This record gives sequence, structure tokens and C-alpha cells, in this order.
Amino acid sequence: MNINVRILTKSVSQQYAFKRIVTFSTKPTQQAAVAAVPQQQEVTGPSVRKPIVPAHYRFVYPEFLPDPKIEWRNAIREKLERLDMLDRRRQIELPEFYVGSILAVTSSDPHAAGKTSRFVGICIHRERCGLRARFILRNVIDHQGIEVVYELYDPTIQKVEVLRLEKRLDDSLFYLRDALPEFSTFDENMEAEPLEEGAPVPINDIKVVLRPRPWLERWERQNLLGVANIEQYIKDKHRKSAEKVQKPWEKFDLMKQYRATIPEEEQKEIFAEVHTELHTLELQRKRNKRKRTFVKPKHLA
Amino acid sequence: MNQADVSKLMSQLRIAVRPTKRNLKNPDGPEGRLLKLRKTVTALVKHERIELYYNRADEARGYAELLISNAIRHGDRHKATMELADYWLLEKQLVHKLFKVLVPRFENSTVSYTRMFKAPRDYPGMYYRKSVLELRGNPYPALIPDNSQNRNLLHNVLLDEARKEFRREKLASLANKLAAETENATASTIETPAQAPVTDPQSEQSKQAEEAPKA
Amino acid sequence: MAQILLRNFTRAGNAALLTKGTSCSSITGTSAEPGSCQLHTTPACCEIRKLARLRVVDNSDLGKRAMAEGRPPRCIHVYNKRGVGLIGDKVLVAIKGQMKKGILVGLKQKQRIKQPQFDSNNLVLIDDNGSPLGTRIHVPIPTVLRTILKEKTLAKGADYTKVLAIASRYV
Repeated sequence: MNINVRILTKSVSQQYAFKRIVTFSTKPTQQAAVAAVPQQQEVTGPSVRKPIVPAHYRFVYPEFLPDPKIEWRNAIREKLERLDMLDRRRQIELPEFYVGSILAVTSSDPHAAGKTSRFVGICIHRERCGLRARFILRNVIDHQGIEVVYELYDPTIQKVEVLRLEKRLDDSLFYLRDALPEFSTFDENMEAEPLEEGAPVPINDIKVVLRPRPWLERWERQNLLGVANIEQYIKDKHRKSAEKVQKPWEKFDLMKQYRATIPEEEQKEIFAEVHTELHTLELQRKRNKRKRTFVKPKHLA
Repeated sequence: MNQADVSKLMSQLRIAVRPTKRNLKNPDGPEGRLLKLRKTVTALVKHERIELYYNRADEARGYAELLISNAIRHGDRHKATMELADYWLLEKQLVHKLFKVLVPRFENSTVSYTRMFKAPRDYPGMYYRKSVLELRGNPYPALIPDNSQNRNLLHNVLLDEARKEFRREKLASLANKLAAETENATASTIETPAQAPVTDPQSEQSKQAEEAPKA
Repeated sequence: MAQILLRNFTRAGNAALLTKGTSCSSITGTSAEPGSCQLHTTPACCEIRKLARLRVVDNSDLGKRAMAEGRPPRCIHVYNKRGVGLIGDKVLVAIKGQMKKGILVGLKQKQRIKQPQFDSNNLVLIDDNGSPLGTRIHVPIPTVLRTILKEKTLAKGADYTKVLAIASRYV
């Protein structure tokens, strides 16, 4: 037996010699390096997630996105906060609203006579994220300008109604403080103006008329779209100094924008986590609204 | 606790991003910094591999990555992206390169579009760290040797042994088969006994030759 | 020159500064004194301190006349330990050459969450016993004042709750 093996090994080894699979060497194989690149390309991009989150969610629920400041990011805290926010949203209807919308906030107030207070006003600013999300309402009551800061997830808030859902031309309306009072005067007993379902949120392109200087801020430097008469009150020196502080290069500063935003992939992940819950809450709210509108006339009749 | 800017949507970078920018020491302030980085980004797109100081390379890398990712995301019909490309690429033929060469190259990529290596610095010279910044898939020879074929690596040793094992088994089975055939042949014709002593030393040699690479 | 500087300094208290970060650099001041130069050498002060201008919001004769003349009262003392007037604090004001006491019922300063912040620093004039000089307050006042003034009444002996009685509206 053994002999026979020996007979054959030579011929067989010759047969297989040119087919030896590996040629070991410490030099880099040129072919392998070249092949590596197309192999990477063959791999398909990140797989598409199952729940399809609407693109407008980041405008409707901006507070679900964390602070983009890298030092302050903490995945666990963010996640816990999101859970708490959903918990709060299950308890109370927190509608979609934007800067420029008119809101009525009813909150419990231990100092007030009925232990609740209701404040109607235009939302002039939204800031902060997570459970700390807050907004500022402004109104002029009895010729006295009043502003109130509310936290969106404050447990003492009992009701948030959107009386008029609209946007303005600017991201924050602090210039209403320097505008004529009629531009921030809203009736306290205003009726809610419902928007058609599925209609886009209208943009109110009203131009606000400012009071003469002195102002609280240098509005001429802020490229405001919603102000009508800024040119009327500024002199050449103001124009010059405003030009000097402009930063036209910032729209090309990609990394600055990147550091101020949450990247799309991360947004998808975050909203995929909360989407189903938010969606069911939305549907529930719609159903309740329909029920209410249906029942009301019958009772009256 | 500021709200994230939602007006813009950007793709996630596959590189490590520093929490803050480097100012890159410029008398013209932030604008001068961008003008400086513009040259680096242009050079990177043009030459695909450049050697420069580490800090500047690291800053420019983010801008180059975002420029490519924006170009992939929006395509060349998007006005804002075109403006960006126009700003960042000083030589205008590179705008074509960006949209016609780099975008197809990186479209389905799952890794970063650029690579950065630390480079040695000249000994009596500037102290600054140096680096090499390159686009992936460039035509130059690779900077890092590919050592995956090194025969002393454990997986290669194991693979090698497995192959040998496989060959040995195959040979044995072949030999068995042939032996069976020859036995059948001897049963029929009586001519074979002379062959055995002749082939013996040859097979010995071949066995030794096979054992040599093992050692 | 000294007078001008002094005047500007006093207006600092009235400067409506609601946001800390953004507005400190602006050239601010009220239009109470038209024609005065707007020279500022220091960032505007957001607090009710000594020499801050206030706005009388009740219908007392003295207050009405002072406001109509464009010479609003200025705070010359704040009756607390900090020297900075907060809502419900008693202040001593110089109004039309007299010294009167008053209660702060609305501030421009940043307030706590859910508490209103006003576009002017509002004051209600009171006498030494705590009863107001006017009979009506014509702007809304914050609801916190109920609690604060009740507490102060107990602590100080003077009855400040009369101010609440003349309020027309709460916010």
C-alpha cells in the first residue's frame, strides 16, 4: 500500500504544482489592493429602515432632536428624555405650532383665583430641546406688553391650544418688542381658527412696523424679513456698521452647519424610535376632534 | 441646551469630527480661515493626495467630505450645492470632476471619502505635525502596505496547514484508488514486481520536498 | 457734562433688557427724555436699583401728573437686603420733588417660568400704611403678587393687600 502511494505522489505533485493556491510572501499583493475598492462599492448602502418617518417631523417635533453640541451629547440621557416626553404627550395634547402661531396656554397657578391662568399670545421664540423645550408668548393687554415663558413639558400646564396655526417670515420675532403694539395685540377670547386637514401651514407675510429708535437690539444687523420700515430709522453709520458685521461666508462654512445640525441618519434613528407612538397620538387626537365637532351641534339642537 | 438647526439636512460624516473648529491662525479671521482651507480642498480634489500640516489637513478634510456628500445628496441640478462647489473649488474644471468623477466613485461607498495618515516630519525643521490627505480610490500606489498575505500571520499559517491537509487526503485517496486498480491488474497479468524498487527513492525525495516548506 | 452722564446712568435702569445675551450691547434707553444724547459707557443695567426710572400705573393724581410731564419717578431706595428690586418689593421713589413709597408690580427683567415679564417697570404708589394713593391700576398685574404681598403684610405689619384690591386685572 505504502509503496503505491509513493509511486503516485511524484506524478500527482507535479500535476498540482502549478495549481498551488497560495504564494506566500510579505510583499503586498497588487491585485488584492485593486480588488478591494470595487468590493467595497458592491456593498449596498445602509439598509432602508422599515418605519417611514415623514420628512416634516423635524419641523413639527424639533425638541425630540438633541442638542448638537458634541460635548453635551449623552445617548442614554437623550433616550430617557424622549421616553419622558412621550409619557407627557400621552397625558396632554401638545399640538404642532411654530414661531408666529397664536397659542392659548392654560396652566395651574397656585396664586390665581381659580387656581388656573390662561394666557393668549403669539409665540415669538422656541428654544432648547428635550424636556427643557420652551417657548415665549407675547401679547399686549391693556396697552401693556406682556411676555410669558412656558416650558412645553411642564407638568403644571393643563392645556395648550393653537388658536391660529401659521408661520412668520423670521425664525424668532423678538422685534415685536420694538414694534407698534397693534402688531402683538391679540384678543383673549379669540376663537380657534381650524386649518384644513392636510393643508400646508400658511406663512403670514405681514410686515411689522417698528417704533422709532432707540431699540432693544440692532435690528438693522439681523436681516429681518418681517419688518417694513427699518430703513426709515437708520442712518448711514448704522448701515455701514451693519454691513461690517455681516458674515456672508457662513453659508459656505459647511462644518459650522454640520456642527449645528443633527445628521440625517441620526434623525431617522431618533424619529423611528418615537414615530409610531407620536403617530398614534396624532390619530387619536384627530379622532377626538372629529367626535367633538360632530357631537356639539346635536346637543345644541 | 440649544435646539438643533432643522432648516438644513446633512448626511452623517464617517470621520471623527472634533467638537470645535481650529482657528488656524489667520489675520483675516473666520473668513480668512475658509479662504485658506479652500485652497487645500481644491488641491485635494485636483491631486487626490496631498501632504501638508496635520491641523490644516484635519480641518480641510471635513469640508471636503461634506462637499462630496452634498454633491452626492443633491446632484448638480441643485443651485445651493453648485454655489458651494463654486466657492470651494477654485479651479472651475474641478467642479466637473466633482460631479462627474467623484460622485459616481463615492455614490455607494459605506466608508469615508477621504483618508488621512500621519506623516513623518523633517528632523531639523518645523515642529508641526505633518500628514497625508488623500481621496479614496486614487490612482496612486497604496501608502499602507497590505500585510494580509504575510505567511507568518496566524490565519495564514492555519490556512496553509488546512490546504496541506486537504492535499494529503486527496493524494491518499487517489493513491488508494490507483493501488486498487494495480492490484486488479496484477491479478490478471504477472509483470509488476520489478517496478516497486525503482520508484521507491523517487517517492522518498518527493516526500522530503513536500516537507521542506513545512519547516 | 456730569448731569448728562448722570441722566444716562439713571436711564440704564429703565432699559428694557429681556434677553441677557443679546441686548447688552445695544444703545438703549427710554424715550422719556426726548432730545437727550444717547451716550453709554457701560452695558445697560437690567435691574431696579437706585436711580432707575419707573412707570406709575395707578390713577393717583401725583403719579398721573408725573407721567404726563415726562418726568417719571426714579427709585432712590429699595427696601430689601439686596438692593435690587424684585416683584412685590417696596421702593422709595423721588416723584415731582417728593419722596413716596411704592410697590413694584411688573418688571422688564427676566422672570421665572410662567411668570409674566412686562415691557416697562411698573410701580404703584402707596403711603406709609401700605394703602395705595390711587383707586385703580390700569394695567394687568402678575398673580404672584397676591401671595407675595400677603406674606409681606404678615411680616411687616403694614397692609399691602389693598394694592391687590385696586387691581383691574391679573395675568
